Amino acid sequence: MNGFELQIVTPDGLLYSGNANKIILRTSEGDVGILPRHSDYVAPLSIGLARVFTDNGERTAACSGGMVTVSGGVVRVVASTFEWSEDIDVERAKRAKEKAQSRLADTKNGDFEHRLAEIKLKKSLARLGASERK
Amino acid sequence: MPSMKAIKNRIKSVENTRQITKAMQLVATSKMRKAKERIEASRPFFETLSMALSEISKNNKDFSSPFTREEKEGKACHIVIAGDRGLAGGYNNNLFKSLCYKDGDIIFPIGKKVLEYFSKKNVSFFTTAYSVAADVNISDCNSIGQVLSEAFLKGEFTSLDIYYTGFVNVLSQVPSSKKILPISTSENEQEKVQSLIIYDPSPEAVYEKIVPHYISGIVYGGLCESIASELSARRTAMENATDNAGEIIDSLSLKYNRARQAAITQELTEIVAGSNQ
Repeated sequence: MNGFELQIVTPDGLLYSGNANKIILRTSEGDVGILPRHSDYVAPLSIGLARVFTDNGERTAACSGGMVTVSGGVVRVVASTFEWSEDIDVERAKRAKEKAQSRLADTKNGDFEHRLAEIKLKKSLARLGASERK
Repeated sequence: MPSMKAIKNRIKSVENTRQITKAMQLVATSKMRKAKERIEASRPFFETLSMALSEISKNNKDFSSPFTREEKEGKACHIVIAGDRGLAGGYNNNLFKSLCYKDGDIIFPIGKKVLEYFSKKNVSFFTTAYSVAADVNISDCNSIGQVLSEAFLKGEFTSLDIYYTGFVNVLSQVPSSKKILPISTSENEQEKVQSLIIYDPSPEAVYEKIVPHYISGIVYGGLCESIASELSARRTAMENATDNAGEIIDSLSLKYNRARQAAITQELTEIVAGSNQ
């Protein structure tokens, strides 16, 4: 068997379940690629791109938060958001980016609002990045 | 006896009210279906997360994390989730009655009614940025989880719990509370085996990264359940209101018919009396 079983779970439900050949994810330690017959593995995800390689080609998504687990050959991506590049609302991401940037400029470093704006900016950048790689 | 005109006016106004309550009932019913689906859809995600957390603490020898440290002193932080609007029967009040807090505690309000309730109390707010429950979505929950876990690490509070309304079924919603931090590790004295799972970069680091998501998961889960509860509470309340309006209309139309009959009878008597003379 070439490939592995991949499940992508988000709070909105099961997003993808099926076969995949390779997946590249941004974990907290950097980009990690998972191939078939990976040993059992757990890593937290950070905000960034996710690339899924299946028999039908490559798909890109913006992904944030959560973790990736490999157990018994099944790869499970448990992400708090996971949006395929074709589903991303580019205009909205652009607006979010500008809003976050102006908020960052307005608030002090270390503020509650500042931290929120930082996260929002990272997310919008990941979305824009994913939408460019269709 | 009130005049026929007065009774007719009252019937009309009750009918209008019934129309409104009926519409609210229908709206709540259709929204509730969606809210219920949302609860179902979000479950597997958070079950996986909490499973991973307990697995890490169980499978690793000499595991320790600041998130599991119990401390006796210090402030408590309460996340309270209630509705933005009234007209939902006892939904908001039942939750407020179940609250258990001390003066000086920190409140994280979600829902306008929570903000109103606590504004006269001797507590401080963590933030009021999320006070409109209907606007809070999953990415907000993620930010909430992030800032709350950071504040916990900084020692702004030493325990965190959440009050929400659990959704049992359409007819029954129970105010519930859940302790979030510190996370209790179940020391079941099972043999702790060194796990064969690779944790990147380390079990502790993974644990600490997952905790914010775990918090946001609990908040999101509580929010979903609360919204479903609010809608079904509103649906029930509005159903009762519609029924009551129907009853009032029935009794008013009876009165109206009686008044009409009385007027006819009186007229007849007057005519008969007049013709006999």
